[in-house]
Amino acid sequence: MSRVVVIGAGIAGLTAAIRLARAGLAVTLVSKGVGGLQLSQGTVDVFGYDPVRVTHPLEALDVRAAADPKHPYASIGREAVESGVAYLADLVGPDLLVGDPAANLNLPTAVGAVRPTCLAQPSMLAGACVDGASFVIVGLRRLKDFPAHLIAANLARTVLPDGGRLQARHLVIDVPARDGEIDSSGLTYARAFDDPGFRKRFAAALLPLLTHGDSVGLPAVLGLHDLQAWRKLSDALGHPVFEIPLPPPAVPGLRLNETLLTAARTAGVRLVQGNRVVSARVTEGRVAAVTVAQAGAAREYPAEAFVLASGGFESGALAMDSYGTLTETIFGLPLAGQDAGELVHGDYWGAQQPLFAVGVGVEASMRPVDAAGAPVYPNLYAAGGILAGAYRWSEKSGEGIAVGSAVKAADAIVRELA
Amino acid sequence: MPRAGKDARVPDKIGGFVRKLAVDVVVVGGGSTGAGVVRDVAMRGYSTVLLDRADLGQGTTARFHGLLHSGGRYVVSDPLSATECADENAILTRIQASAIERTGGYFVTAPGDDPAFADKFLAGAAATRVPAREISVGEALKAEPRLNPGILRAIEVQDGSVDGWQLVWGAARSAINHGAQILTYHKVTKIERDANRVTGVRCVDLKTGEEVQIDCGFVLNCAGPWAGQIAAMADCEPVDVIPGRGIMIAMNHRLVNRVINRCIYPADGDILVPVHTVSIIGTTDVKVEDPDNLAIPHEEVQEMLDAGEILIPGFRQARAVHAWAGARPLIKDSRVAAADTRHMSRGMAVIDHTTRDGLDGLLTIGGGKLTTYRLMAEHIVDAMCTKLGEKRACHTADEVIPGSESGKTYVVTHRLEAREHDRTEDQIICECELMSRKMFTDALAEQPRGSFDDLRRQLRLGMGPCQGGFCSLRATALALEADHIDVERASGLMKLFLKNRWIGLWPILYGDQVRQTALDNWIFQGTLDVEHLPQPEQEVEL
Repeated sequence: MSRVVVIGAGIAGLTAAIRLARAGLAVTLVSKGVGGLQLSQGTVDVFGYDPVRVTHPLEALDVRAAADPKHPYASIGREAVESGVAYLADLVGPDLLVGDPAANLNLPTAVGAVRPTCLAQPSMLAGACVDGASFVIVGLRRLKDFPAHLIAANLARTVLPDGGRLQARHLVIDVPARDGEIDSSGLTYARAFDDPGFRKRFAAALLPLLTHGDSVGLPAVLGLHDLQAWRKLSDALGHPVFEIPLPPPAVPGLRLNETLLTAARTAGVRLVQGNRVVSARVTEGRVAAVTVAQAGAAREYPAEAFVLASGGFESGALAMDSYGTLTETIFGLPLAGQDAGELVHGDYWGAQQPLFAVGVGVEASMRPVDAAGAPVYPNLYAAGGILAGAYRWSEKSGEGIAVGSAVKAADAIVRELA
Repeated sequence: MPRAGKDARVPDKIGGFVRKLAVDVVVVGGGSTGAGVVRDVAMRGYSTVLLDRADLGQGTTARFHGLLHSGGRYVVSDPLSATECADENAILTRIQASAIERTGGYFVTAPGDDPAFADKFLAGAAATRVPAREISVGEALKAEPRLNPGILRAIEVQDGSVDGWQLVWGAARSAINHGAQILTYHKVTKIERDANRVTGVRCVDLKTGEEVQIDCGFVLNCAGPWAGQIAAMADCEPVDVIPGRGIMIAMNHRLVNRVINRCIYPADGDILVPVHTVSIIGTTDVKVEDPDNLAIPHEEVQEMLDAGEILIPGFRQARAVHAWAGARPLIKDSRVAAADTRHMSRGMAVIDHTTRDGLDGLLTIGGGKLTTYRLMAEHIVDAMCTKLGEKRACHTADEVIPGSESGKTYVVTHRLEAREHDRTEDQIICECELMSRKMFTDALAEQPRGSFDDLRRQLRLGMGPCQGGFCSLRATALALEADHIDVERASGLMKLFLKNRWIGLWPILYGDQVRQTALDNWIFQGTLDVEHLPQPEQEVEL
């Protein structure tokens, strides 16, 4: 029997499980599917907008936490975020995440906006949007989710966060990843870029089109398993190369996912993937076990402590039915943020939809609380997207909240079970 | 798609230029009525132009549930309409097959409904020549397994589903082939008269701001719920139009493959229609003042879901993807109370402004329904010919409309079949609706100033489960490749499209569509940071 069960295989669940296992506890991680990392941009956001662009994310989250007690950062705190970000960076190493948690980077997106993020993959760094940069954005004819022209044209008309401008042009080349396929996915290209022969063909097609001084922006498909593929391409071209993340499936997120899964296995985490947790058994006020719907029969996973890292509405962890009733779908936990008046309104480009800040409220050790602020169960902890109070996508705080709360929950459990 | 000659620019009084045209007949309104009328007018040899302040089929037409009536709905309440529907159903299936799916339909007696109504129904069907046949409940449930197993009776009819936009564009293309001009986004500002005679129409091209002066001898007002506003531009006495608002909800799947009607006197939420990849439930009927301001109230959404639950148990667990509201174009009829627009005659009402206002050269048409749009056009053009003292016969029922030459009605898998043929040469831009890259670029070439919504109406771009989550960015990229669209307009078109999709999403946001919206927000806000693109001086609105 495991001492701890972690529910959810996103960045929060994986980080919590690894930290618990490395502390010597027997951990089982159960998840319905592949976690949310494949949906993400593959960088670590801490705090990007509040609502104006943030330069120093740790300082800004401190200010926000003090001003807004309902924000997850008010419960998590700067220290846990710093510790979580450092822990994650250490886990995956400098081949996957680099940067200074005290300062944001400004990187181009696949629509040509300039997006703040905190840690990024090294393959993205040459895309830093600073005054005087000179980019050529290179599209692939058979990869429809990377609009090179749009990216370049939007970047070229943007006043950068540092007040300067950059130059950007675009070109489109046609190097098939697979013969006879006009409509290739990013994943298909990522696997192709793992292959030295493909990289050579690609470099040969692209090089004659580059001019001196170009930094080359490419879709974030430069290798799935070979974390040096982008560097090898850059060397072959003799130009700096950078990746721009695409809509899902996101290759940079998959790289993080693979690396964290390997770390979890190495740490001894027992992984039960592809099975949905459907209910919990409570005995004497404590969570005794969760029930997982497995092939053949439901199975109980008892433990001494549980981490709910199941995500938000996007994963099905939170749901709203046709009558407007909101539920946390595993434990039926009380939900905070429902008192915000109209939860959905008709102004798409207006204020955020309050529905997407609904979630569970937590106390300082990340245990979900009821309306009075008391822990619902003494041995149930929550981390990541399930937490109430943040518009993670717009403020760019998802990974900071995830790793901060994961580390805080794990450390509280370790203290409790020691 | 300007065509026909007589188009010239002349100096304006204030130094600008006015575009000038001269035609025999101006048709105002680009819904099914106007499109049918302009086709008929052109086929009878008149030079003509159709004006609409928006896209074709953006008003009442296509803001409906997609039902091609068998006539069954009216066999008890409105026998004349029933026969007309049955006849026109057969004609449209012949001349406009590519806009129609021959789904067939059932009228079912739900638990609690009066089973005796089915007897009235069958008698009415026989009297009105609407094909109808009672089948066993078992047979109905075998064909439509999601149907409420508690139904008491089932009658099979020849209902179909019709794509309102394909219908209207088909008629418009036919009209163009007969020499008509179709001017979308041209808003009428004045109907000009010389004493007691209409002499022309002034309008403004909303996409360019250019003024257009059209000399003509006749105006046919087919503006539906806006007909009163158009008549007022000729200084006529007010025409009382009562827009009856109805809401519709599209569910993510073909919950049924036949049209399912309640076998009761026509009421709210009594029809479920399979259209392309979705099923549409409708509708409500509430009198409103302003056809430009149609809400989708929460309580009406709940009413539709409850009604769906009666026909298809578990309806609320299905995924709603979009909702919309349309305004019925009813002209006030003293025979019924104004508050109950459903039971006003669905037949067309032609207002003769010669006898009413002493103005020659203007007819206003109201009422009617999409299934009988061709017949309505025939009647109003007949009326015009009579006033002009001319005899020109109507041939609209005889000529097949462009795109329907094969006579094949569509089936739900028609795009899958097409993609099977071109999937190795062309990319799929909208996976939900199987729209290819070439389909998009061709439509943009035809409507170079079109918004993504204008293109959507013909392509179904963004109308599937993801509601634009994946295709919007791709469409933006393709738009930017067109020479005439710069990055500011392309980015603005994307923002406008997302904004407009949301109008029909937020009123039905529950269940799995919440999950989809969270993913879409993750993509657009999270990954793309689209709200931090450079702010334009003015957002794209058209």
